[in-house]
Amino acid sequence: MTTCVRTIVIGLAVLLIAGASLLTTSPALAQRKARSKSLKTKALPAPKAEAINAEQMQTLLKRDGNKPLLVNYWATWCDPCRDEFPELVKIDTDYRSKGLDFIAISLDDLTDLKTAVPEFLGKMHAKMPVYLLNVADPEPAINAIDPGWGGALPATFLYDKNGAVVYKRFGRVNAAELRAAIENLVCSKQQAVSSKTVLH
Amino acid sequence: MKKVALVSLLIATVATALVINARTTAADIPAPPIIGSTINEFTLPDANGAPHTLTSLKGKNGTVLIFIAVQCPVSNGYNERMEKLAQDYKARGINVVGINANSTESVADVKAHASKNNLTFTILKDEGNKIADALGATRTPEAYFLDASNKLLYHGRIDNSRDITQVNSSELRDALEATLAGKPVPKTTASAFGCSIKRPE
Repeated sequence: MTTCVRTIVIGLAVLLIAGASLLTTSPALAQRKARSKSLKTKALPAPKAEAINAEQMQTLLKRDGNKPLLVNYWATWCDPCRDEFPELVKIDTDYRSKGLDFIAISLDDLTDLKTAVPEFLGKMHAKMPVYLLNVADPEPAINAIDPGWGGALPATFLYDKNGAVVYKRFGRVNAAELRAAIENLVCSKQQAVSSKTVLH
Repeated sequence: MKKVALVSLLIATVATALVINARTTAADIPAPPIIGSTINEFTLPDANGAPHTLTSLKGKNGTVLIFIAVQCPVSNGYNERMEKLAQDYKARGINVVGINANSTESVADVKAHASKNNLTFTILKDEGNKIADALGATRTPEAYFLDASNKLLYHGRIDNSRDITQVNSSELRDALEATLAGKPVPKTTASAFGCSIKRPE
């Protein structure tokens, strides 16, 4: 068992017990729930998407050896994209602070840049940077991302900190698989840091 | 407190996920046949339940198979273009055939959609994605052009844009024209964004 796995399993056991005992105090929980609900109804800043061309997209995908990158290609007209988006927002929330970069690239029409796209992102409470790929011919962009990809949406790619693809999925993501793949990257980074500390 | 419960839930999810090995592959959809390979005979029912073989649908100069959808806005953006393609090439010996392989769309949906959108070409229902798998089809619309001997000459998009005013390259029509003129197809594959074909989970 790796250090990372062991830490998580021990943490899981402790926290499940703590969580279960806390759940029994229901009046306090109800109060907290009510408070968090009232916070959620407060107006959030309107999410924005930025139009980019194929070259700008390539720049965004480049890695400099620091952080892994998750990229989701989606569109508001794509049912499975909309279905999986809440899961991706959760993943962004859970892993951004652990060092994961996440960008979402919309293939909506440019006319949706200030309407359908931000409306959807607002509903999703999405916080990751969102871009809209604006290209007359999609083929060079698709081939640059992955020549084996026909362009079916959604598509999700996870790159390690050096830009190598470690997970890809055409169609709706399997959240458990994606989280496991992210966890491997985040964990190996933590292990690298701790072993470095030992050497010092 | 809620946070603690959420964190424990998160860690439970992560630990479960760690047990499952991270997969580095895409969804298990077979690769499409290579250009130049022969497409095997198949039989599929149309929206009325009548069975058709590839041989029975074939034009004397070839066949265009297009995976289409009822609900996909990209596929629907091509309804008029697909119908026109069918009309334009019928007299020239190339038959256009639609295939709906979406597990989420019923035969009744396919029939109603064709009627509403005046699609007169034959539309087959590929239950269980047998033909979509055999052809490695992943999205709608996605076209395959087979010559008179069922050899695959072109696979990919119809043209470069679902917005007809932005079209400046029509690879599928170019493939048909080249073949009818006895010339090699200039571009044998081309990709575009589209909706995933819905396969049962």
